[in-house]
Amino acid sequence: MKGPERKSERGFRAALPFISTLLLILLMQLPYRLSFLDDLLPFLPLAAVYYWCIFKPNLMPVWAVFLLGLLEDILSGGPLGMMALLLLLVRIFVLQQGRRFLEREFLFSWLVFLVVALIFGLATWAISSVYIRETQNFWNVLGQSMLTVAIFPGVVWLLRWLRQLLIADKG
Amino acid sequence: MKALKHRFSSGFFIILALALLIFGSNNTPLVQGARAHISDFFVPILDVMSRPVQALDDFVGWTQQLAIVFSENQRLKEENDHLKQAQIQASQLAIDNQRLKKLLNVGEGQVNIVAAARVVSDSESPFFKSVLINRGRRDGIEKGQAVINEDGIVGRIITGGQTSSRVLLATDINSRIPIKLASSGINMILEGDNSSYPKLGFLPIGEEIALGDLILTSGYGMVFPPDLPVGQVVAITEDGIRIKLSAKLYNLNYVSIVAYEIIHRPDPKKAE
Repeated sequence: MKGPERKSERGFRAALPFISTLLLILLMQLPYRLSFLDDLLPFLPLAAVYYWCIFKPNLMPVWAVFLLGLLEDILSGGPLGMMALLLLLVRIFVLQQGRRFLEREFLFSWLVFLVVALIFGLATWAISSVYIRETQNFWNVLGQSMLTVAIFPGVVWLLRWLRQLLIADKG
Repeated sequence: MKALKHRFSSGFFIILALALLIFGSNNTPLVQGARAHISDFFVPILDVMSRPVQALDDFVGWTQQLAIVFSENQRLKEENDHLKQAQIQASQLAIDNQRLKKLLNVGEGQVNIVAAARVVSDSESPFFKSVLINRGRRDGIEKGQAVINEDGIVGRIITGGQTSSRVLLATDINSRIPIKLASSGINMILEGDNSSYPKLGFLPIGEEIALGDLILTSGYGMVFPPDLPVGQVVAITEDGIRIKLSAKLYNLNYVSIVAYEIIHRPDPKKAE
C-alpha cells in the first residue's frame, strides 16, 4: 500500500501540506472579519499543523513548522518566535503521543485537539502578557481556542480532501 | 541515528525560536528591517487575496444600502438643508478666524497627505492591534506619521518597509494619542488597552465629562494634526472613561497617511 503513496509524495504534491498551511496563515491576515466575532479568529495554522503532523509528518518537517510559525509572527506583528515555538511544541507532542492512535479515530483526535488548543491559547496569552508586560484579557484567548476547536472538523475536511490528491496515484 | 538527528533538529529550532522570542525584540533595527522586508514580499500577495473578499463585502454593503434607499434619501435632504445653513455660518467664521490668526501671527500647522493606502492585512491577535498597508518608504511614508480615514484617526506608522508599512492602531496597548475635549478644550491622552474602546487618561481633577462628549486630536506631540475627529465618550465608570472611535478599526479599507508640520513664518520684526 505504501508504495504508490510514497511515489506521489514528490514534487508539487509533497509541498501541499506546507502550501495549504501557508494559505491558511495568509487567509487569517486578510482584513475582513465578521463583526459579531469582534476580533476573535481561530488559530487556523494550529489546526493545519496538528493535522499534517498526524497524517504526513514527513511532509511537515521541523524546519517547515518553524518557518510557518515565524511567518505568522512576522505578518501578524506579534512577538517574534511565539507561534514558531508553540507550533514546534505541537509537532513534538503529536509525534510523542503516537500519531497512529490519533490517526484512527477522528473523535479521539478532536478531543485531544481540544486540550491542545486550550493549552496553545493559554501559552499565547502567557507569552503575550509577558511580552507587553501587562496581564491581558484571558477570555479573548479562550474564545479563540474554542473557535479553533469548533472549526477543526471543517479544516480537517478541507485538508483530507487535499490529502486525497497525495494518495491518488496518477502515475 | 535518524531519531537522534530528528531530536537534534527539533532542539535546534526550539532554541532558535526561544532566542528570537527573548532577543528579537521589536525595537532592534535588524529585526525591524527583516520584518519590513518580509512584509514587503507578502503584501502584494495579500493584496490580491483580499480583492475577492472585498468585492463580496462591497456587494453585501450595496444590497443593504438598496433596502434603505428611500428613507435615506429623505433624511439626506433634510440634513442637506441644515448643512447649507451651517456652511454659510462656517465660511463667515473661517474668514474671521483667518483675520484674527493673522493679527496674532499664529504658527499655523500644515497637513500634508503623504499617501493613500489600502489595508491588506490585519493582525488577528487579541493582544496586538496593527494592520499592514500597501504603501511604504518609496511613497514617502516614514515612521511616526499619522494614519487617518474619512471618519477619524486610525493610528500611526510604526515600521516602514519599501512598499509596505505597519500601522499601530489607536486601540493597541502601546498607543498613546494626545486628544482634547471638543467642548472645553481640556487636553488628555487616549490610551489603548487592546480592547475595542480605548481609555481616556489624565482628566484634570474637578473637570467634568459626560457621555456623548466629542473627542478631537489636540495636535500636541506633532504626530496628529489638531481637530481631527477621534470619537465619543461611551462609558464613564470607576475603571475609567471609554471612547468609541469614529473610525471603524475592525473594518478598515482605505486610509490616508498624513504628515503634520508647523510652518515657521519668518518673524516680521527680525526681517526688518
